[in-house]
Amino acid sequence: MIEYLIDGPLWYFSLAVFCIGVLWQLASIVFAKSKTDLSVARGSATGGAWRNVFSRFVPHHEIAPQIRVQVVAGYMFHLGLFALLFFAAPHVLFLEENLLGFGWTPMPHWAFIVASQFAFLGLIILWLRRMLNSVSRLISTLDDHIAAILTFIVMLTGCLALLKGFTELRLLHRFTVELLLIYFPFSCLMHTFTFIPSRAFSGAWFGRRGIDA
Amino acid sequence: MVHLLQRHFSHCFTRPASIILLSLSLLLPQLSSASVPQKHEGFPQGVSTITPGSELWREVRQRDLPVTGISQVKGVETGVLINSRGDQWARFRIENPVKYAPMILAAIFLVLVLFYVVRGKVGIEGRLSGRMVKRFTDYERIVHWTLAIVFLFLAITGLILLLGRPLLIPLFGKEFFSLLASASKEGHNLFGPIFLVSLLMMLFSFVKRNIYEKGDLTWLLKGGGFIGDGHVSGGFFNMGEKTWYWIVILIGLAISISGLILVSPNFGQGRVVMEISHVVHVFGAIILTAVSIGHMYMGSIGTEGSFEGMKSGYVDINWVEAHHDRWAKECHENEQVISAEEYARLQGNKPDTAMEKGHD
Repeated sequence: MIEYLIDGPLWYFSLAVFCIGVLWQLASIVFAKSKTDLSVARGSATGGAWRNVFSRFVPHHEIAPQIRVQVVAGYMFHLGLFALLFFAAPHVLFLEENLLGFGWTPMPHWAFIVASQFAFLGLIILWLRRMLNSVSRLISTLDDHIAAILTFIVMLTGCLALLKGFTELRLLHRFTVELLLIYFPFSCLMHTFTFIPSRAFSGAWFGRRGIDA
Repeated sequence: MVHLLQRHFSHCFTRPASIILLSLSLLLPQLSSASVPQKHEGFPQGVSTITPGSELWREVRQRDLPVTGISQVKGVETGVLINSRGDQWARFRIENPVKYAPMILAAIFLVLVLFYVVRGKVGIEGRLSGRMVKRFTDYERIVHWTLAIVFLFLAITGLILLLGRPLLIPLFGKEFFSLLASASKEGHNLFGPIFLVSLLMMLFSFVKRNIYEKGDLTWLLKGGGFIGDGHVSGGFFNMGEKTWYWIVILIGLAISISGLILVSPNFGQGRVVMEISHVVHVFGAIILTAVSIGHMYMGSIGTEGSFEGMKSGYVDINWVEAHHDRWAKECHENEQVISAEEYARLQGNKPDTAMEKGHD
């Protein structure tokens, strides 16, 4: 019964919530009304947008020493998670059989282990910094903590089910994934889709005004 | 334990590779049919009470001659058809680590409970003042808690794997335990290397301040203040903290290296290396877990004002003067002591009620 629920209706429901929620959020940003900028342009908005999208991958030299830990941990976590999500053999197989109808070459098992270790260490450090740094702690919301902990649990249940010998462990992982999919569109996890448009918007605004930021 | 290891070594280094045991298996049908008696007293004709081939397997496993043969498969111990020492190792594991680990951990727990009941929380003369000194940076606390979280996960999953059979199967049954053991094994193997990385971060972050210096021996002789009267002098880290640090680093490295040997069996290490690694790994982990329980106690409910150092990075100046007087002197000289109001502002909080009381 539980197996049927997790593999069937709950999976489709969570997938629907995720897709509709993400599209809804993105549409609300795209169609949001903003005042027309009547000022004379001092620079290229397009150039500013492109510049900002890429320059923000590296921290500004003036603040780099203060945020070195979260930059390194941030890259460890995000690159590790990206590799796990799209190149872990079980995920490639799942996407091929259940969603896309085609697959690609997965990474070898040793690379999977290393990627997951990077992701785990990065996430632990990022969350600890959020908790231990007084400024980060003050600006963090409940949503930030739930998102971090839920992501950690999803990764952990996935790794605990690595042996693929127990249906219960696979179901536990899939259930936590479904919870994450339902939570995703209404949380800070939306930055997965919004960080590029957000940078582009700010960069265009700066570029039009001739601000070198 | 030493006796068993000696026997391991003597078996390994004295056995010549002269007998082709594997070829004996080809003779199994002939030998087994020869060993079956034609008639047995007390039973109807045609029923045998002797397992066919038992003589062969007795010969393979228990004879005095060397047990290594020749095989086309090239690798570590591939010429051994049945390794009887596997049984000895299983017995050793059940009779030693599985038996003593819960005893050691229970004893430590009991000692701490008794200590708390008799001695209570170690307080500070003059109570907490509210005036604070920066003790640890954000990075140092992140390193500490990363190591602590990963260690706790490894300790729990490791204890499930070590003690699950005698302790958990009677409680939850074999099916649930097999699931739990599988998950624990995967998690344990995955987080092991993360522990090593965290340990190296800990080593490089704290090593300079944990070198032993003049005055540390006095701290040890006075039992950290529990033996005799008078104040025990200490620097930024006292002798007890330094010793704990080196226990973590050295035993942690031993556990990590032995764990890597165990988790990567394809690098040519034989059974003996694996068994020694297992012993080092298990006993190292039990010792580290036991001492870490003491550390957790002393760093939280055991000593007033200690936990704040790893929580906010700041400690009360009265706590510093009570436990680290030489460092306290430096703090006063360098004007590093901040007021309760300044501390509250840095933490983004209103001044703590308890601290206000202490300040009064």
